[in-house]
Amino acid sequence: MIQFLIKRMVGLVFVVIGVTFITFIMGYFAPGDPIRNLLGQHFDPRLYVQLKHAYGLDLPWYQQYYNFLVRLLHFDFGLSFAQQDRSVWDILKGGAPISIELGMWALLIQILIGVPLGIISALKASTWIDTLNMGVALFFYAIPVFVLCVFVQVVLVWLDQHTGGSWPVSGWGNPWQYSWSDIQYKLAPILVFTVGGMAYIARLARTSMLEVLRQDYVRTARAKGLIERVVIYRHALRNAMIPLVTILGVAIGFLVTGSFFIEQIFNIPGIAQITITSVNSRDYPVIQATTVMLAVAVVIGNLISDLLYTVVDPRIKL
Amino acid sequence: MDTKDKNPEINTPGVMFNDAPNLSADPLLMDQSDSAVAATISEVAERKPGQKSPTPFQDSMRRLLRDKRAVVSMGVIAFFVLLAIIGPPIYQHIGAPYNSATNGVVPASVYHNPFHQELERQDEFISSQYWLGTDSLGRDLLARLMQGLLISISVAVLVEVIDITLGILIGVLAGYYGGWIDQFLARFTDIMFAFPGLLFVILLTGIFGTWADDHLSAIPIIGPNGNARLLLVSAALAFTAWPLMARYVRGQTLQLKEQQFVEAARTAGTSGPRIILRHIIPNLFSIVVVVATLDMANTIVGEAGISLLGLGVQPPGSSIGLMISDAANMIDTHPWEVLLPSIVLALIVLSFSFLGDGLRDAFDPHSKD
Repeated sequence: MIQFLIKRMVGLVFVVIGVTFITFIMGYFAPGDPIRNLLGQHFDPRLYVQLKHAYGLDLPWYQQYYNFLVRLLHFDFGLSFAQQDRSVWDILKGGAPISIELGMWALLIQILIGVPLGIISALKASTWIDTLNMGVALFFYAIPVFVLCVFVQVVLVWLDQHTGGSWPVSGWGNPWQYSWSDIQYKLAPILVFTVGGMAYIARLARTSMLEVLRQDYVRTARAKGLIERVVIYRHALRNAMIPLVTILGVAIGFLVTGSFFIEQIFNIPGIAQITITSVNSRDYPVIQATTVMLAVAVVIGNLISDLLYTVVDPRIKL
Repeated sequence: MDTKDKNPEINTPGVMFNDAPNLSADPLLMDQSDSAVAATISEVAERKPGQKSPTPFQDSMRRLLRDKRAVVSMGVIAFFVLLAIIGPPIYQHIGAPYNSATNGVVPASVYHNPFHQELERQDEFISSQYWLGTDSLGRDLLARLMQGLLISISVAVLVEVIDITLGILIGVLAGYYGGWIDQFLARFTDIMFAFPGLLFVILLTGIFGTWADDHLSAIPIIGPNGNARLLLVSAALAFTAWPLMARYVRGQTLQLKEQQFVEAARTAGTSGPRIILRHIIPNLFSIVVVVATLDMANTIVGEAGISLLGLGVQPPGSSIGLMISDAANMIDTHPWEVLLPSIVLALIVLSFSFLGDGLRDAFDPHSKD
């Protein structure tokens, strides 16, 4: 166990270094001189040198990369290029709670609905219930999230025009508050955010449950005359849950990608939207910071999955 | 690569085809006597004397053609490919000259051009002049859709060419020789998997996008009309896609390496490179086709998504993603303009996913529960 942990941590450090290096080197080779952009066309050469020094851009690349890493360790992402005197963290601070709120709800609903759907499908395998469930799951799994956003928005517009309920088509209300008008804002994005991952989880749960139902111990349980309910809930279900803990890493990956489209289309001021804005204003430090943060989130999600796996399945000794 | 690059089936490299006895054999190069052995007893019994037995490859194709969903998907894909390639030249010859107040008399070849604006004909619905209506700048939606499809398909093909080449090259070398190249592949894949979905593509196109606008638009055909960033987008998509391909190829190579026919070749003194070319690579056909088909769906969504975020095709160019984002603020007044590209994109992507699933089942009948 300890050995496994150490091995994973070393791997994690390696991945994080790789991700930060790719992110850094792209910013380093980025075309255009950010300081020159900052100062405009006519500038004082002395001020230019001063600013370049203040941002640490006059150092050789390895020195810059080293500083970048050291700052990351202190959760200091440096200064923004586009908005002078603002730190990157200051810019991201506003978006983080919104993105986390959106992602958390989506993840929760995905698991709470996706797992039972998959289990029911497995128990009713090859009936119309299974076919319907899996057909719908396949559809939502394959369809691009931004296309779903569009469909949902069309429905929202229709609702708004025909019910007089004043449904907002975009926006996010107050973060972490749930009055009726806040819920109206949040319902649609969370729903769209949920279905893709939910379909994935349902398919995984179904496969896992089917696998378990074929096992000898389930046959034994049936053979010794246990009622079906006990066989399924005590013997099969618990074991079918084991592979499902591995979804966390994948699910977080889903959520990160989806958030770019959902925040952009529904105009939600989260981290992803800030990233897109920064891309357009060529604010590299902000882009680098979000990339590193999101990539590390995925890596940590995978690590937690691995650890949970050993907790729920005592057969696995690492 | 799609928003859904972590397919449940292709998430555990090497597992998918592990229990596939008919794949570890040689589906393409197997000679007649071998395939007769592979055929099941019932098939042997059914066969009339003198009739040739189907090769495993023909067997797979027959299974594929029995899969209704896959056949329909193939039809849909073929339709859209044809529409994108031969649609525009035909469409530009249909229609009478139109007397425009702003542009004078314009022939069909002009107003059926994806970039031509007819400012007095904005936001129209389907008509005999504009078969699918016009957008908010008075541009022909059908012409723009066909141009967008062409972009989608070109990017998908370009990405798959790079993906397959790199994937096979690195995957086979890693699987057959192991050593540092295997280590490199493993570490590199770990790093690329940590970039969730499109994040790497967003990073690359975001930072180098304006550079591409300035320097790549001089390239003929793929450069002008706002398409300059497509090379960048394709490169980024391929860069994120190939490690997965390489992992599958590596897994398959590891299995093939232990097969008797490879062992026999080695015993007969065949050199490593020759074994790879003659015995390993032909046997990778099915897994490469399946992974590439599923990845095409990812790639098409990826390009559309990047263009939708404003990082891919630039105006006045056309891409399905750009059409969606152009029409997004017209959703309450003219929902048709945003629904059209969305529905087309959904159809293409679903078709590629279904076809990929169908191909996998056809090549590997044991993969079904």
